[in-house]
Amino acid sequence: MKKSLIICLAVLLALGTVAYAKDFPKRNITAVVVWGAGGGTDTCNRIIHAEMSKFLGVNVNVINKTGGVAGSVGMNYAFSRPHDGYTLCGLSESNVTAGVQGGWDKRFDVWDVFIVGGSPDVISVTPNTPYKTLKDLIEAAKADPKSIKAAASGAGSIHHLNLLAVENGSGAKFNFIPYKGSAPSQNAAMAGEVSVVVTSLAEQQQLLRGGKLRALGMLIPESFEVQGLGTIPSSFDSYPGLSKYLPISQAIGFAVPADAPDQAKSVLVDAFKKAIATDKVKSWAKENYYLLSGATGAESKAIFSALESNFAWTLWELGAATVDPAKLGIPKP
Amino acid sequence: MMLLERIGTFFTIILQLVSEPITLAILFGSVLLGIIFGAMPGLTSTLGVALLTALTYGMDTATAMVCLLAIYVGGTYGGSYASILINIPGTAAAAATALDGYPLALKGEAGRAIGLTTTASAIGTSISMLFVVSISPIISYFALQFTSFEFFLLAFFGILISGTLTSPDLVIKGWISGFLGLFMACVGRDLLQFYPRFTFGFTQLDSGVEVVPVLIGAFGIPQIIQVLKERFQIGETQKLQRIIPEIGTVIRNVPAIIRSALIGVGIGAVPGIGEDIAGWVSYGTAKNTSKHPETFGKGELQGVLASETANNACVGGAQIPLLNLGIPGSPPAAMLLGALMLHGVTPGPMITFEHPTFITEVAAILLLSSLAMWVTGMLLAKQVVKVLRIPPPIFMPIIGMLCIIGSYSLGLNIFNLYLMLPVGIICYFLTEMGYPIAPLVIGVILGPMADENLRRALMVSQGSFMPVFTRPVSLLLFLVIVWTVISQFQFYKNFKNKLVARLRRKKSVAAVGSNGPPAEE
Repeated sequence: MKKSLIICLAVLLALGTVAYAKDFPKRNITAVVVWGAGGGTDTCNRIIHAEMSKFLGVNVNVINKTGGVAGSVGMNYAFSRPHDGYTLCGLSESNVTAGVQGGWDKRFDVWDVFIVGGSPDVISVTPNTPYKTLKDLIEAAKADPKSIKAAASGAGSIHHLNLLAVENGSGAKFNFIPYKGSAPSQNAAMAGEVSVVVTSLAEQQQLLRGGKLRALGMLIPESFEVQGLGTIPSSFDSYPGLSKYLPISQAIGFAVPADAPDQAKSVLVDAFKKAIATDKVKSWAKENYYLLSGATGAESKAIFSALESNFAWTLWELGAATVDPAKLGIPKP
Repeated sequence: MMLLERIGTFFTIILQLVSEPITLAILFGSVLLGIIFGAMPGLTSTLGVALLTALTYGMDTATAMVCLLAIYVGGTYGGSYASILINIPGTAAAAATALDGYPLALKGEAGRAIGLTTTASAIGTSISMLFVVSISPIISYFALQFTSFEFFLLAFFGILISGTLTSPDLVIKGWISGFLGLFMACVGRDLLQFYPRFTFGFTQLDSGVEVVPVLIGAFGIPQIIQVLKERFQIGETQKLQRIIPEIGTVIRNVPAIIRSALIGVGIGAVPGIGEDIAGWVSYGTAKNTSKHPETFGKGELQGVLASETANNACVGGAQIPLLNLGIPGSPPAAMLLGALMLHGVTPGPMITFEHPTFITEVAAILLLSSLAMWVTGMLLAKQVVKVLRIPPPIFMPIIGMLCIIGSYSLGLNIFNLYLMLPVGIICYFLTEMGYPIAPLVIGVILGPMADENLRRALMVSQGSFMPVFTRPVSLLLFLVIVWTVISQFQFYKNFKNKLVARLRRKKSVAAVGSNGPPAEE
């Protein structure tokens, strides 16, 4: 009698646990975006989480926690929360550099990343500068190295890396001025505080089409057709040497600690796949010059570890890193 | 013709919005929620807009904007409740309101003060709406004149002026308090080279000192200790009858209200700075231009009107760079930017082509929000003042609990509580020694901006300070700062008095010479 009671209780408990576990998510989820509000990563997260909320049945609240090196403050914060799937970290490829810059003491594979996609980078100038083509700009920069001020969001961001790649591939040297995000750096270029700005096309398209900035070249092998502006040529056309360093593509999305419960992760993957296939996300991507990815699990892990070693070693070789990537166990690309 | 057409669209949009009961319900609901967020120490309008953003995803763009702008307007106004009633600003934006609002409450005129701030806030928002709809491209051109040097000088000026205005005895105490705040803002990893400063190895300090726990600790804890220590009942609550809008008082102060609204719009339009600094600058201007500056800080209605009109006018001002350039003018506007992009509206120079009526729509919604705020505020004011009837031994511990919850609710971070308590206790002793607290909080808020922009400015100019004198806006700001400092010294005051006396003598001599009858003294 006693025994059967215990067995009954045990079964009940087990069932209860299963039922409990199946209940993820039971409450609202928080997505900690490590970059500023209104930037590419932020918008992307707000779009995808708003769609995912519908499939998850709970709200995903997006908050911003900026600062540190390559978003390290937000990442450390999100990672310090319980690994239960209720705290996500909205991040992008740029965050893989936090390790070698001394803001993150782990490899990046402690995260399971969900890649939404990205927008290609474009190099632009203030309209009243004399640089009409990329060649004008590069030659001017070569003639008087470090005289031309160039902005990109914080050191170690993808835009900064794209700028470094332009310098390496063309031999020009700019005076790099860091800003807190893409919006302030574009603002500085419009105000004329700096002459050159590198951010993504998604972040710049309004200003380019409104004539507040002048696009000189796409930092991808292909040219890009922008409605109402014409075709922005690929910078590879005039400087083929760039192909050695570029493209460094954006991979915007969010992450959950890899040791979160599998059940929670699979619920998230399911909602993510459904959300990224919705018309709303698709049309948003098209309107905003994004290319969608949808990679999760092992696929995104491979992409991110390639990015990690690429970024970390590039930065280390450029002297822009403070921590030896070898010490963190990051393999050479 | 363009203008007429625009006015036509404006009223069509208002009619459309008003004719839908659901929109109206959302409008009033959001305003009320905003007021609650504003009035609760620790919950800010930025947080309110951020939390509502996700909820608006299912709505169409216009309804979502009604929801978000209404909570923004309500939150900015709601901060004044806590400032006036308990001397703990509900939001940083309302810190300047406490200077005169609380003395008014002590005189038993809390209801009157709230009634007037309600009207002033509504007028402020409405005036800012006019700017959004009429000359926003011109204003956003001026917003682009702000580079790193200007941002630094503006932040520095904000800290300085709040120090100047709040010192009960020696002005230097206000500045000391402001620089303490500036120092606290330096804690954490620096924003340009990521070097950890004054963190002593605590990773929690890496992201710096958070504003909300400091705000609550610095204002809340000293106030609670003070009230419990002195065992007094805040204000007599008998004089409640004067909550109805005092048209007469408002009309008498029309020039001051318009001036405050202009200051609010201007500061709101500058990217990155918001309601808090607008309130201070407006309060300072009101005090400096007043015929009786000595009454400020002792319950001067004009002081309350100045800061409240300006911080609400800032809401509209902040929309200007947001809509025309895609640059948020204030922290809550940054949240709005995210919400807009969520709805497929990318603000920027092309917005008038892609969404031709959008700016007019925002203006219409701002007007509706300010009306809704006014109605709600007038209904609420009478009820809210009743909290003062609760005896302090019960009321103050409740406020204490709210302070703790407020600090913790931000990011559910227990470290914020460890931060709030010591800050509060230090601030209590500072208050006892006659150091004002507001500049310290303003220092913490504006410190990162001053620090980051000064260093970036020097990077851009390669170490030269010359741009301060060659750029018109920064030269102006620099001169204002120098004047703010010098005008506090005795030799300047003597000099000024002499000058004024001499001018007066000359005038009277001239008057005697030309007209015959001597000028009156």
